[in-house]
This record gives sequence, structure tokens and C-alpha cells, in this order.
Amino acid sequence: MDLAIVQSAWWIPLYNLAGAVLALPWSPGIIRKTGPRPAGYLNLVATLFALTHCLLLLREVWGQPPVAMGFTWLEVPGLTLTLPLEISAVTVTAAAVVAGLGLLAQLYAIAYMEMDWGWARLFSLLGLFQAGMSALVLCNSLFFSYFILEILTLGTYLLVGFWFNQPLVVTGARDAFLTKRVGDLFMLMGVLALWPLAGTWNFSELARWAAVTPPDPTVAALLGLALIAGPIGKCAQFPLHLWLDEAMEGPLPSTILRNSVVVATGAWVLVKMYPLVALSPVTVAALTAIGSITALGGSLVALAQIDVKRVLSYLVSAYLGLVLIAVAVGQLSTALLLLLAHALAMALLVMAVGSVVWNNISQDLSQLGGLWSRRPVTALCYLTGCFGLVAALPLGGLWAQLEMVEGLWNAQPLLAVLVVLVNTLAGFALGRVFGLIFLGKPTQMTVRSPEAPWPIVVPMTVLASLVIHFPIVLATIGLLPGTAANPLAVPALMALVGPGLAGVVLGARLRPVELPNRPVQDWLANDFYTAVAYKNTVVFVIGLISQFVSLFDRYVVDGLVNLVGQLSFLGGEGIKYSTTGQTQFYLLTIILGVVLLGMLMI
Amino acid sequence: MLSVLIWLPVVGALLVGLWPGACAARLRSIALAFATAGVLWSAWLLRQFDPTQPGMQFVEFIPWIAPVGLHYSLGADGLSLPLMALNSLLIWIAIYSNAYSGERPGLYYGLLLLAGGGMAGAFAAQNLLLFFLFYELELLPFYLLIFLWGCSDKRGYAAMKFLIYTAVSGFLILGAFLGLVLLDGSSSFAYGEQSTAALPLITQLILLTMLLIGFGIKIPLVPLHTWLPDAYCEASPPVAILLGGVLAKLGAYGLLRFGLGLFPETWALVAPGLATIGAVTAVYGALSAIAQRDIKRMVAYSSIGHMGYILLAAAAATPLSLLGAMLQMVSHGLILAILFHLVGVVEAKVGTRDLDVLNGLMNPIRGLPMVSALLVLGGMASAGIPGLVGFVAEFLVLQGSFAAFPVQTILCVVCSGLTAVYFVILLNRTCFGRLDNATAYYPPVRWIERTPALILAGIILVLGIQPDWLSRWSEATAQAMVTPIQSAASQLKKPLPSLRAAATSFSPN
Repeated sequence: MDLAIVQSAWWIPLYNLAGAVLALPWSPGIIRKTGPRPAGYLNLVATLFALTHCLLLLREVWGQPPVAMGFTWLEVPGLTLTLPLEISAVTVTAAAVVAGLGLLAQLYAIAYMEMDWGWARLFSLLGLFQAGMSALVLCNSLFFSYFILEILTLGTYLLVGFWFNQPLVVTGARDAFLTKRVGDLFMLMGVLALWPLAGTWNFSELARWAAVTPPDPTVAALLGLALIAGPIGKCAQFPLHLWLDEAMEGPLPSTILRNSVVVATGAWVLVKMYPLVALSPVTVAALTAIGSITALGGSLVALAQIDVKRVLSYLVSAYLGLVLIAVAVGQLSTALLLLLAHALAMALLVMAVGSVVWNNISQDLSQLGGLWSRRPVTALCYLTGCFGLVAALPLGGLWAQLEMVEGLWNAQPLLAVLVVLVNTLAGFALGRVFGLIFLGKPTQMTVRSPEAPWPIVVPMTVLASLVIHFPIVLATIGLLPGTAANPLAVPALMALVGPGLAGVVLGARLRPVELPNRPVQDWLANDFYTAVAYKNTVVFVIGLISQFVSLFDRYVVDGLVNLVGQLSFLGGEGIKYSTTGQTQFYLLTIILGVVLLGMLMI
Repeated sequence: MLSVLIWLPVVGALLVGLWPGACAARLRSIALAFATAGVLWSAWLLRQFDPTQPGMQFVEFIPWIAPVGLHYSLGADGLSLPLMALNSLLIWIAIYSNAYSGERPGLYYGLLLLAGGGMAGAFAAQNLLLFFLFYELELLPFYLLIFLWGCSDKRGYAAMKFLIYTAVSGFLILGAFLGLVLLDGSSSFAYGEQSTAALPLITQLILLTMLLIGFGIKIPLVPLHTWLPDAYCEASPPVAILLGGVLAKLGAYGLLRFGLGLFPETWALVAPGLATIGAVTAVYGALSAIAQRDIKRMVAYSSIGHMGYILLAAAAATPLSLLGAMLQMVSHGLILAILFHLVGVVEAKVGTRDLDVLNGLMNPIRGLPMVSALLVLGGMASAGIPGLVGFVAEFLVLQGSFAAFPVQTILCVVCSGLTAVYFVILLNRTCFGRLDNATAYYPPVRWIERTPALILAGIILVLGIQPDWLSRWSEATAQAMVTPIQSAASQLKKPLPSLRAAATSFSPN
């Protein structure tokens, strides 16, 4: 083991952080001479450094026991906050995936955002995101996970709000920030409650604590529910799922990262805190229910979207729902495998779609079509991404879901059926998008459509080759789930591949712009009217209460104060007129006073 | 040592006030020179301060009016020294940030310096009567600053309200001090020489209640807060920075120093009620802020919300929560200062504070991009985003209080969510959105307007990343302050008596 590389593992997030900070001077109005481009190149180089370091580190820690390190952040009486890092094959792989996808996304952004003036802001935020995510996967503490998730929430707000002069962007940024914050704050309650109970936030020590001295069931249930709220918000799960849809208003290069790795941070933290979640059957049941609802709901809603980015965003929610189910039933390695397969495939899908959106200037599915002959590279990349996600061809998605179905069939067959169903629906949704974009006759928007410039095509094709080779890599390192030993393997394979393939083919053949039934189409297109429901309940109630408090403050609390003031003023004004200047009157008051006093004394 | 912090600004105030016929710019440089000297002196004091000592340092004592027990006695510990440093910094910011061009510049700068000297004196005083003198002394400059240089026609009303409220607060505090010294027979007004242990519990309760209401007005706590939105909104930005950044801390400081310090036995008794008032104040302030249409008023209500945390922490009285309260005072002072300053810049450039009119200030060409960026930072610091100083303080408060008062603590976490709601409203309306090209002809933002915000932003960020640099001053003091409470609690050995039990068993005789 090369100690220097392992000992300096904590630099990995710092490269991107430095890139993020150094990009700021290219904000409008500070450095004008060079234009904003150096900010982008700087971050690209920083990410390259991070990726190189990750890969070198991966070679060192592969097959080795995890290395722990710690930095004391704050030491006060009764509380020592140490930032523990865990350098293991799994965490470094995750950091490498983050850096790798980040590098591709930033290269992509250079072409995609060519004409934008906000380079410094975009790249700075992308750098911040990458720094946060690589710090999150390396850190081994619940507290710092919360810490970083909360910073990423702010990052999401700023990144979604990138084109801030459009009204939809502004509301999207607001909703992204507030929904995620709701999840974060529940998680904060869990973090706060955990310290007096366990006295540690280190994941390894928490696992030990949960095994040795489990708290009583009510406490465990409340704690678990509070803790899973954070990941639910991050992973865009029901009922905190709305933000991801609205976040599609943000720039597409950031969507590449968001749909693949940013949402995955929530699931990552969930896997890390699984021993705490598993303490209470209530939490596990809640997690299963939320995952199932989102998986099914998300894949249904994706069928009816007209905006291609939104199709993908709902599929993200759906697949992360499956990840949540895998965690809930304790299939942690399956969950991570699915997460990785999903991240690569989804990033590729977003890149391919972005490559079309970039020069056809429309993300409206009803306006696209017939691009197969004009954009073969993009089309093939899209198909690769599609099959990397849907279990139909032997790519990453199939292996992960196969393992999941095999594990679920005996314990909870209903969930296994759900996985198959979601897979079919997702196949149909992706097939429909493929059909609407690439098949059929060219439309006005697609008559002229050359392949995109190299900074878009290169990252896309590189990622496509990664998705294709993913199972081979898995097989090489011995992580490909074994199939021969399990008697369920063949039926599970058939259950996944058959409907999955059928879904994609059918979706591409039928490619309905809208579902045949109007109310159903509207119901699904509007995400079951969840946004409206929130507007009429939570948002309305908080607005009402704050109006009430404000009026109460102005007219009752302050009104009382003013009333006292007014009364004393009126009293003074009233008495003023008793000052008549007549001696007799003064004499009368003096005598009255003396008499009154005299009566009192006697 | 400490005297310099008090008298340097006072000398400066006299000099500026009496300088013959000078122009505003020269008076500003003179005032700034004195303020700079104050900042440097504070920095030097911080260097000399030994954070491992919980007791008073830099002690000064000059006998003064012995028959009344009033002596000129100063000292600083981990509770007061960071606040004195904050005071010096914010005075500097208040003077620097505003190139004043109105009438009577001498009086204006003189009053700012005088207010600063008065507040330093109140933090440094080691004698109850001396504290009261300084506490009342800073009232006058603030009244005049609001009354003479307020923003609108309501300034007279606001200033008078501020004056009456604060005067009542002063009387209650003086009454409590006098009652305490007369009843316990110590006949000394020096800090730490009174012992309330011998007093009947009900007497202690009455005295403590007077103190709580007195300082509660200053902090302010709901429902004693209605002077605050008016005063903060009417005050010009530099005065609002001082009012919110330092003056409100005087109330919190008094609560910790006198409420907690003098009545350790009774404190445990009133603590649950205080924690509830703290949580209610936090939620009430946040909810009121959501409904505001005026950004300055919104920030003013946010200040009420954040001071509730301090009360919760003081009620819990664990080493962690008290440290959190001390950090919260400084961090809230910094954050409120940057917010009021930026809101002031927005108002000066755009000419309105109305959320329904403001829009799109982030626009890089014709908007106020840097001001907007800093406003995002300030708002997020206030909302408790990690990596900024507000998070550290609030987290310590919440963690320190959770074991003692879980429900109230969770209410405060909810309040932190509501804080995010109103700051998102503020930022979305002010910074995001489309700038109206027809009206967007704003004067350029000058460096004297940017620099204070940049300095504050830098401090907020650095202390958020490296909170040790802030917490080290107060650790020993927080620990020492808790000891009497804990020993009092252990003497009571057992479930704490309820208020009713206290009232029946210790009837006044």
C-alpha cells in the first residue's frame, strides 16, 4: 500500500472545493478580460485531479481492509465532533463514480452551456456538488452526512435557480429547497435525539450500539422515521418527490449529475444507517411502503409526460423507490448495485436526450421525431442507456434487478411482482420516448439535426461504453451476482426480460403522445395532482397561520400597547381642560382633597 | 484595559461632537479612527485573554460612591468578551458603512460612538449599579438616533415606544437589583457577592420574574416584543445594525449573567416555562416574518425568532447549551448585521423595501449581483445551513437542550424550517425573477457599501468552517456557569418542585 496516497485521501473533495472557490472571480463584473471560460476549464482540471487521485487510491485499497482517519472539527465540553473518514474499496469506488460522472458532465457542460453568461456560477456549483458528494461517500458519520446533505440542499436551490429570471425556475428552486429542507430537518431531529441515546454519530459505532443496546420500540420507531426522512427528501420519494420534477427547469448538465448521483446520496446514507433503520419494524414497513408507492407511481406518471426531461425525472424517483425497497428488506449490496447501474444508465439517458434537446431546441416530445437516421450516435447511446436501466438485455439493470427479484420472491412475492411491473412500465416509458424522438417522420423541429459537437458526443459515447462494459467489469472483479446456483434464476430472468423487452418494443411501436383516456392522461401528467394538493393544504395552512399571527401581532399585541398609550394620552388631554385658571376651582379641588384624605385617615 | 474600550469611544464622541465647523467627511474619518482603535484594542484584548480561566480577567476597580455601594469595577470573561469584540466590530461597521451627508454629522457620529461606549460599559461592568447606569446610558443615544435619523414619519412613534419599553425594562431591573441586595443583607452591589440561597423561594421567584421581564423586553420575548419591529424598521441601517446586533444581546447577556448567575436555585423551577416561552418566541417570530411584505420588517421579525433559541438554551442550562447560547449571541449579531446592512443597500439603490415591487436583483448587468449573492449567504446563514456560523451556534443550542426539553427543542427545529421558508420568499422575490428594464436604473454600489458586507460574510464563513475559533473563548465560562445550577439541582435531589409546591411551602412571612 502506498501510504502517501491513502493518507492524502481527504484531498479528494478538496480539489473540487478549490475549483469551486477559484471559479468565483469569473463571476460577471470581476474578471472581465478573459471571459468566463477559464472558470469551466479550471473546474475540469480540478475534477481530473480528483478522478486521478480516486483511481490511484482505488488500486491501493482494493482488497484491503478499510482504513479509518479522523479530523477533529469542534471540541467543546460534552461534545467532540470528529470527522471520521472511511477509506475502503466501496467508498473509494463511489467517490470515483462521482468524480468520473462529474468529469463527463463538466465536459458536456462546456459545449451545452456554450452561450451562457453564468459559467462561473454553474461550474462553481458543479464543483461544490462534487466536493460535497465525494466528502459524503468518504465520511463515516451521521452528523457530517447531515451536514453535507444540508449544504447540497442549498446547492440544489442555487443550481435549479440558475436561470433565475424565469418564473418556473424560481418556483422550482423554491420547492426544491423547501422540500429537501423538510426532509433534512426531520433528519436533524433524529441526529439530535440519537446523541443522548448512543453518544456517537459514527456509523460503525452506531451499528454496534444498535446491536448491543437497542432502544425501546417506540423510541426506535420515532428515531428511524425521523432519520429516513432525509434520504426520502433527497431521493425524491413520495411525499417529498415534487422537487425533482420541477428541478428539470435547471440547466441540463447539472441534471446529469442530479439524476444520477445527487439523488443517490440519499440512498447511500440510508444504506449506511441501515442498522438504525432495521431496529424498528415500523420504520422498515414505512420505507417499504414509500418505496413501493414511489416506484409504481413514478413509473406510471412517467408514461404521460410530454416533457422528455420529466419522463426521466419520474423514472429516477421510481428506480430509487426500488432501491429503497431493497434497503428495507436488507439487500444492501443489491441496493448499491442497482444504485450504481441506475446512476450510469440514467446519466447516459440524460446526456443522450440533452444532445437532442441542445440543437433541436425543444424538449417537448410531441414536436420531435424521425431522428434515427440523422442522429445515429445519439440514438445508439440512448438505447444503451435504456437497456442499462431496464432489465431486458444483460446490462447492469438486469443483473441488479435479477438479484433483487430472487431475494424478494420467497420473502415478499408481492414486492417481486412490483419490481417486474415497474420494470415493464419503465421499459414502456423509455421505449415511448425513443419512438417519439428517433422513429416516425421528421417534424419541423427535427428536419435539420446534425450530431452535436464533440464535447457533447465524447462524454456520451464514453459513458455508453462504460454502461456496455459494466457487467464485464463486474464479472472480472467477481461481483456479478451468481445465477446458476439459484433455482429461481431462470424464472426470474424470464419474468424480467420478457415484459421488459416487450415494454420497450411496444412503447417504441405505439409511441402514444398522450394516453387514450383523457382524464387518466391528465391525472398522470399532473402527477396525481399532488402539487395542487400541497398548495391547498400545507402551503395554504402555513400561509393562513402566518397571516393570522401577523394580524394578531399588529392588532392584538401591538394594539393593546397602543391602547394603553392612547388611554394615557386621552387621560392627559381630558385633564388638561380641568385647568381653567379660576382660583375658586383650584380651592375646591384642594378642599376636596383634604376632605378625602381626612376621611381616609380617620 | 477594559476602560479603554469604554472611554475611547466616549472621548471620540466628544471630539466629533464638538469639532468646530468640520465637514461630514472629516468627522467620519475621525469617528472611524476611534472605531478602528476600538477594534484593534478588542483584538489585543482577545489575544491577552486566557480562555482556560473561567473567572473575570482584566479586572479594574476604582472606589466611587461607597455609601451606595456603587464602584467603578470592570472585568471580562468568556461571556462578555466576545460580545465586547462584536460591539467594537459593529460600531466600526456602522460608522464605515454610511457616508453620512445630512445635517448635524457631528451629533450623528458622536451618538454612534457614545452608544458603542455605553454598550461596552454594560458588558464590562462588575457592579450591579454600574451595569444599570450603562444600561440606561446607551438608551439616550439610541433614542435620538432613531428619532432624528429615522426612515419615515413613524420614527417619532417608534423612538418613543422604544424609549418607554426600555425605560420600563430598566426600572424592573433596578428594582430587582435593589430588592436583591436589600433582602439578602449583603449590601454590596459587586457581582457574585449576593447570595440568594437564604431568601425564601417566593421572594426569589418575584425578583427573578422582575429580571426576566426586564431583560425579556430587551431581548425581546413574545409578547414583550412590539417595540422591536417598529424600532428596527424606522432606524437607519447603521443604527439597526447596532440595535439588532448588539443591543438585543445586552438583554440576553443580562439574562445569563443575572438571571442564571444570581438565582441558580430558582432557575430550575422556572426553566420549563422559560424553555416554552423561548420556543413560542422562535415560532411566533418566524411565522410573523413569513407574512411580512417589507424586507426590513421581515429581518426584524427573524431576529425575534432567533433570540428565542437563546432563551431555550439558557433554560436548559447545560454546558453545551450555554456555550451554544453564547455562540448564538455572536453569530446572530454578525448575521443580523449583514442582513440589515444589505437590506439598507437595497433600499438605498432600488428605493423600496416592498417584496411586491423588488425583483431580479441578481441580474449581473443592471441589478446588484454582489449584494444579492451576499444576501443569499446572509439568509442561508440565518436559516442555519451548515458551513456558516449560524449552524454551529444553533446546533449546539439544540443538542444541548434536547435532553432537557425535547418538545421545545423540536419546536425550535421546526422554526428553523420556517426560517428557511421566509428567507426563500425574500431571496426569490428580491434576487431572483426578471428585472424590470424600465425602472432598473440603479446607482452603482460603492466599495464602502460592499466592504462591510464582505468582511461580515468572511467572518460568518470562517467561523462556520472553523467554529473552534469562536467557541474557545467561552468554553470555560459556560462550564463554570453551570456548576452552581447543577449543584443546586443535586441538592434538591429529585424531581424538581413544581411552582405550586414552591408557593405553598414557602409562603412569604
